[in-house]
Amino acid sequence: MEGSMSNTVKLTIDGQEVQVPEHLTIIDAAEQVGIHIPNLCYLKGMKGIGACRLCLVEIEGMRAPMIACNTRVKEGMVIHTKTEKVQEIRKFVIDLILSMHPLDCMTCTKAGVCNLQKYAYEFELKESSFTRKTLGYPVDEANPFIKRDPEYCILCGRCVRVCKEQGTNVLEFMGRGIGSKVTTATDKPLQESACTFCGSCVDACPVNALLEADRWRKGREWEYEKVNSVCLLCGNGCDITVSTKDGVIQKINAGAAPGSSEQYICAYGRFGFDCIEAETRLTAPLKKVDGELKETTWEDALKIVSDKLKKAGKEAGFISTAGIQNEDALALKKLASTVVKTKHYDSSLSLYASPESLTESQAADMDAADVIVLVGLNPSQWERRLPALDASIRKRVSRGAKLIVVNSSETRLSDIAAVGLGGDEIASLKGLAKALGHKSLKADRKLTALVKNAAVTEETEKAADLIVQATEPLIITSPGFFDAAANLTLFKGKAVTAGLESNARGVALMGMATKGRTYRQMAGDGMKVLYAVGEVPIQERPKADFLVVQHSHLTALARQADVVLPSATFLESAGTMIDYLGRLKYLPKVIEPQGQAKNHRDIFIQLAKKMGATIKRPTEAEVKKAVKVKAKQPLRPFARKEGLEISPDAFIESINASVINGSRLLWLKEAEVSA
Amino acid sequence: MTEQKELNVEDIRKEAEEKHCPAQKALYYVEKFLDTLMCGKCFPCAFGTYEARVRLKNIISAQGTATDSALLRRIARVMTEASRCKRGKDTGRFLLEWIDTNAFKAHSERRCPDQECLAFIEFRIDPDKCIMCGDCQAVCKFNAIVGEKKKPFLSGYLPFEIIQKRCTKCGECVPVCPTHAIAKVELETEKEVPV
Repeated sequence: MEGSMSNTVKLTIDGQEVQVPEHLTIIDAAEQVGIHIPNLCYLKGMKGIGACRLCLVEIEGMRAPMIACNTRVKEGMVIHTKTEKVQEIRKFVIDLILSMHPLDCMTCTKAGVCNLQKYAYEFELKESSFTRKTLGYPVDEANPFIKRDPEYCILCGRCVRVCKEQGTNVLEFMGRGIGSKVTTATDKPLQESACTFCGSCVDACPVNALLEADRWRKGREWEYEKVNSVCLLCGNGCDITVSTKDGVIQKINAGAAPGSSEQYICAYGRFGFDCIEAETRLTAPLKKVDGELKETTWEDALKIVSDKLKKAGKEAGFISTAGIQNEDALALKKLASTVVKTKHYDSSLSLYASPESLTESQAADMDAADVIVLVGLNPSQWERRLPALDASIRKRVSRGAKLIVVNSSETRLSDIAAVGLGGDEIASLKGLAKALGHKSLKADRKLTALVKNAAVTEETEKAADLIVQATEPLIITSPGFFDAAANLTLFKGKAVTAGLESNARGVALMGMATKGRTYRQMAGDGMKVLYAVGEVPIQERPKADFLVVQHSHLTALARQADVVLPSATFLESAGTMIDYLGRLKYLPKVIEPQGQAKNHRDIFIQLAKKMGATIKRPTEAEVKKAVKVKAKQPLRPFARKEGLEISPDAFIESINASVINGSRLLWLKEAEVSA
Repeated sequence: MTEQKELNVEDIRKEAEEKHCPAQKALYYVEKFLDTLMCGKCFPCAFGTYEARVRLKNIISAQGTATDSALLRRIARVMTEASRCKRGKDTGRFLLEWIDTNAFKAHSERRCPDQECLAFIEFRIDPDKCIMCGDCQAVCKFNAIVGEKKKPFLSGYLPFEIIQKRCTKCGECVPVCPTHAIAKVELETEKEVPV
């Protein structure tokens, strides 16, 4: 919330004088000063609907109590949040809800974090004073992700609203009053609806009506250790909160701040963690003996690999995914360039991006963006193509931001766009720049010259108007269009590149870019030793004399390798990454690696040692130095970077193959095939 | 559809006021409100009116206790203060008005001063007055009256009696009795009350 402290108001809440930003609602203002106003239907970041009436407070000078979730603070307000009158209302509502709620807190998974339980305790309600009502609705547990139990539902509508706001639009109310029920469109099970199993509804549910399907007897919230981390499965790099018990991951929730438009994770991020203990998980090094992979010791495996690397020297090649942590990328670069002394080290980001489009990408704040320009991208929750970006944009738009889509093809987000600029993207961007120049935004002379001949349509004008009126326009572009799209920032706003892999930007900034052969060339043929790190999207063994695969799972490629080194997953290794919005994010080691798996950088350090060299463990300072952003954006050519066209869907599925195949996500794939 | 759209809480109240007993008025109102105007958008009204119906049914079926009245009052009071819209607030207010009448209070003593709550009364045949003419039996649609019509020169017969389980308390037997032998009796007091 930039500039939120600029205009503040003074008011009194429960006798406490407080100063808070003027745009806040009473409920948020109270929360800021540590006063909790009870609520069941309120969702931070969304407009209050005042359904549960628990947040009613008394304001001096007002005859009737007011709902705190949708009343803004005003200078001089005197608010009482705990008067006898409002406490009685709260107790009454909780009492009524209890009359239609199973009173089985002793075996309920949500015990400890259930709001209903919390308030029942506060108001000393052991049971309801009202008539017991059971509705007898069936449980929907036909999928391995989300269990819906309407018996527990208190009809607060949070799930319906989050599902709607993020554009998934699967859940809705059927009926009204006590007989109503949260259902899918035709009351079908979730898997027969358009549900993507992102689980946003699970995060929103205040009771036990929506829960991860496998949570029963996997521990209550108070038994969990909760750690904030980052999902490294796709280019979104979403914040996650991981709950562990006895060193085992029990569940993962969205980790972004409540109320942020980025509070979303997809089914991969939420349920993919099963793969940590998948059958294909590597727990010991393997080497090929008589054409078959056999377990061996680290000592032996490292010896073989270091000997091969030493011999190959500058004819060795290293390829990696861009889903590895910064420290791993730094160590890998050092191993390749200073120890093995080869120029051939590259990452899979070179398939879809030029390093500059990532290293020169700016830092931006999604929650502050009031106009979003989406260039050459087609994010989709349904195809799980940058799903969180799709959800964040939809949330921003439902909260009032305007979307401009610049794309030559139809996109999923087009239906909520204020303006869609079809046709050639470069031509559209040129036109937009020209129109912005005309709208008297300060124009660079060279830029004006570049777009002199561009065509400006009515739609272009409309888009330009939106940008002119915006305070914080955010341009999100596919890597190929970064140069042209970033030119718009010479007028206004920020431009960021959305890569397909989580740490594409970090890996590029760490300098993991080849000075010799590219990733594509190395994946094609002819290295003496090819060393592949992470789940590289390669199915067939490249024509390398010797192939080393270092990954957490036995992938199709690993099966064809000469030596396989077991690595830690991102949940088992502490490090940093840089997301597409330019934020440096920390990943703690959430759990210990399985078996003998080690994190990438430790393997590189030990290999270097075997080769008689020393790689120092990359430090935070080193990472931060590499992350420094250039202040001024230069004028770039209005041209598309060629040779970067790959199928994002196939790519994302390929770099996540072992996650999908090794977890309950496989069910989704099978369901899609059979449907 | 159009009729429902134009309907407002005052209309329902007017219809309810056609009854005499305040408990009957309240139940009529609540049932009609739940069927039509109740939007279900806020908890006090959505859950409150539903519960109010349960409690009112208890009361008029002579199952009511002091708790029912107390809870009804609580529902009405909170609805008046906490409902989201005027409809809910008005509903709370109407209910309070009805609940606060003496006639409503009498229900906790198992009396319906307006004689509309049928659970509190019974129709009975006074054998001393009955002449066994069978007119009541003929008029009863529910076969609730047993007895043998008296025939000359025959002795030994079954006296006329109302089987309470079958009786719907429609009262149609009362006016046909030539000797006014059928009386309406308040169960709690065992007193005859006017029909």
